[in-house]
Amino acid sequence: MKAVIWIFILITVALLGYGLYQALVVAPTEQTMGEVQRIFYYHVPSAWVAFTLFFVNFIASIVYLWKRSAGSDAIAVASAEVGVVFCTVVLITGPIWARPVWGIWWTWDARLTTTLVLWLIYVSYLVLRRFAAGSQTQVLSAALAIFGFVDVPIVFMAIRWFRTQHPSPVIGGGEGSGLDPTMWHAVLWNWLAFSCLALLLVVVRYRLQLMEENVEAAHAQLALQGGAR
Amino acid sequence: MTGPVALKAAYVVTWAIQFGYLGYLLSRYRKVREEMKDLKRSS
Repeated sequence: MKAVIWIFILITVALLGYGLYQALVVAPTEQTMGEVQRIFYYHVPSAWVAFTLFFVNFIASIVYLWKRSAGSDAIAVASAEVGVVFCTVVLITGPIWARPVWGIWWTWDARLTTTLVLWLIYVSYLVLRRFAAGSQTQVLSAALAIFGFVDVPIVFMAIRWFRTQHPSPVIGGGEGSGLDPTMWHAVLWNWLAFSCLALLLVVVRYRLQLMEENVEAAHAQLALQGGAR
Repeated sequence: MTGPVALKAAYVVTWAIQFGYLGYLLSRYRKVREEMKDLKRSS
């Protein structure tokens, strides 16, 4: 098992390196924005990975409410936390890209605002997990996760439903939209690399969650034994 | 902020967040393993 994990780590590192090479060397320089457009190769795959992880959290939360299994709850926590990490990357790289191109760091348009709300929803989910006490914490957080996921399709559709400062969809945006094939390769390689990294992080976080629960249960048992003596 | 500076900043911030989080997880992992060992010893 350890060998498999090490091989996966090596594959992830190699993919991250190759993704960087694709983004900085192979992909052509965009004509209007120039070099700064290369932020796209980190910004967009990070958003895709965050959405996927929030979807995993949504499914795991439904399974938890249905079966009440510790495993599905641990998957929900792990995917939400790693999803917040990737969503943070999106929210920071976006303004860094916006400043030289739009002349502003931030604007309250539909895409940016709904993404910030999405981040806040999952941060509140993690805060609830961290600080709430009692047997209902898992149930409440699963319910929050299910309702919170409603914002993901809204973020995705925001640039289709509303007129926004954020550009219209380049990928899957209909006629007139699209990417140069070399740009596509850079996006897909980075998406693959970030997906592998996310999987790795979720596995570590999942195991950590189960271990922490075991330690907590062992402490409670020791306290009970101490009290009984 | 010029384009090339923004590009470098965005990439560095991404790595810092991703690998910073990985480091945070590994340090927590080590701590919990130590705690598990202590519990085994005391029980």
